[in-house]
Amino acid sequence: MTALQDLPIAEAGKRLRDGSLTATALAQDSLDRIAERDGALQSFVLLTADRALADAAKADKELAAGIDRGPMHGIPYALKDIYDTGGIRSTCHSKLRIDNIPDADCVVGQKLVAGGGVLLGKLATHEFALGGPSFDLPFPPARNPWNLDHVTGGSSSGSGAAVAGRLVRTAMGSDTGGSIRGPAAYCGTVGLKPTYGLVSRRGVFPLSYTLDHCGPLAASVEDAAITTQVIAGYDPSDPASVNRPVPDLLSGLQDGVGGLRIGLPSNLWRGAEGLTPETAAALERLAEELAAAGAIVEEVTLPDYPLFNACGRVILLAEAFAIHEDDLRARPQDYGELFFMRVAVAASISAADYMQAQRLRRELAMAVNRVALQRHDLLLTACALGPAPAFAEFPRDMPGPMAIQTMPFNVTGNPALSMPAGLSAGGLPLSAQLVARPFEEALLLRAGRAIEKITAGWGFSQHLPEHALASPALVPAAG
Amino acid sequence: MTEERDPELDMVLKRAGIIPPPGRYRGLLATYRDLQAMLPLLRGPRTAAAEPAGIYVLDTITREPAP
Repeated sequence: MTALQDLPIAEAGKRLRDGSLTATALAQDSLDRIAERDGALQSFVLLTADRALADAAKADKELAAGIDRGPMHGIPYALKDIYDTGGIRSTCHSKLRIDNIPDADCVVGQKLVAGGGVLLGKLATHEFALGGPSFDLPFPPARNPWNLDHVTGGSSSGSGAAVAGRLVRTAMGSDTGGSIRGPAAYCGTVGLKPTYGLVSRRGVFPLSYTLDHCGPLAASVEDAAITTQVIAGYDPSDPASVNRPVPDLLSGLQDGVGGLRIGLPSNLWRGAEGLTPETAAALERLAEELAAAGAIVEEVTLPDYPLFNACGRVILLAEAFAIHEDDLRARPQDYGELFFMRVAVAASISAADYMQAQRLRRELAMAVNRVALQRHDLLLTACALGPAPAFAEFPRDMPGPMAIQTMPFNVTGNPALSMPAGLSAGGLPLSAQLVARPFEEALLLRAGRAIEKITAGWGFSQHLPEHALASPALVPAAG
Repeated sequence: MTEERDPELDMVLKRAGIIPPPGRYRGLLATYRDLQAMLPLLRGPRTAAAEPAGIYVLDTITREPAP
């Protein structure tokens, strides 16, 4: 008998509908696992157990009455704590918003409620979705379920930990420079940053207006597809939202990669600081096995990574400074050290710097979309350049050593998927990243599903060993 | 040991009206220098006609519900 936490969302949905499972049992199982494990993982900053059981009871009643709200009906989920939840504290993991109780749900939250989802609670993040891991915030940092002495990556840190620890199979994150894909990579989950404009950001606290994306971290590609199917769609209240039909993300999921042209922009990661031989080998092996599965895999050259990084960082910091400048002046001591040091220096970015970054952004988006993705259906590239670093490697007062290459596709807005790609010798997840043309999430997820099957053959089932949380040896950050 | 200072960073913070809490200057200086090193990368050869991404689009504003 499959344990409930290992039931794919689609299978749970079937059982909810044939009466062999109740949403209440599913929610209670998640709550029990949270009670058992989250003391070590610290992935939740607020548990909404009463709400979850009420949502579940309502779902059971509706399904019994033949009311079907779709594939998330009766399924537990959790939200990063920058997502507004009406009547429920939403802190951004910051002292500055510790008492904030929004009046209404964000649009993604509204869609999940309308779809009959079961809200378990709010998840840890790096403060305002930047910086971290930090020990000077109102809540501790989430820990990596594969090894509690290692970071989750961020900023959707609690989402990565909760999904990898199977406290929940799908959780919402946000991604401004890699904040979905980074923790997905470090925690061994699937992470989808959808196309810019596919998922509404209304009611999600902004980090950077033109780089922010909302999307799921999930236990499988199919779980990510189901979640995205529910949360996607036009929202006139989000200026970036694009008015076009939501594609069918599920029906072609098993179609494989036969005949697909996959570009391999190895100039991005070869020789990059922080690249481990294991990650390089995993990418090469994945390229070979995708070719063996029928894809046409070819080298392609993209602009150099430092250009993407500089472009994205300057835009991100300038926009974040615009959001936070009043509080940086009035309440500097209330920010955690890492957020403060990153954003306060953005006061030095001139208007011309920002405009040059936006001009470069157009050039980079053209290079990716009008050149590389004209000849290729997808790109396969690095996500994290190595496994999750240990907390002990992070100084308290300086940025830490997180080497990930996710920023290019925040700059361009293309959909990008972080996929597990085996384990390091130290037993931590490795990762790869797939990229598609705008609004081609269906193709992206289809190829992701093919990678999931390939990496399952590597002995990695996205399932952490049960002993991982048995004897936590917590090590604080370096002093 | 005397803390290293950077007059340009001090001027930036002063002009912005930001007074860093004690103990945060070392990290600020590191991130400031990292950021400054990136800025030249933004400036490539372009004509005046090379527009930025994210130009003003009136449609996205007029479609929003009134506040």
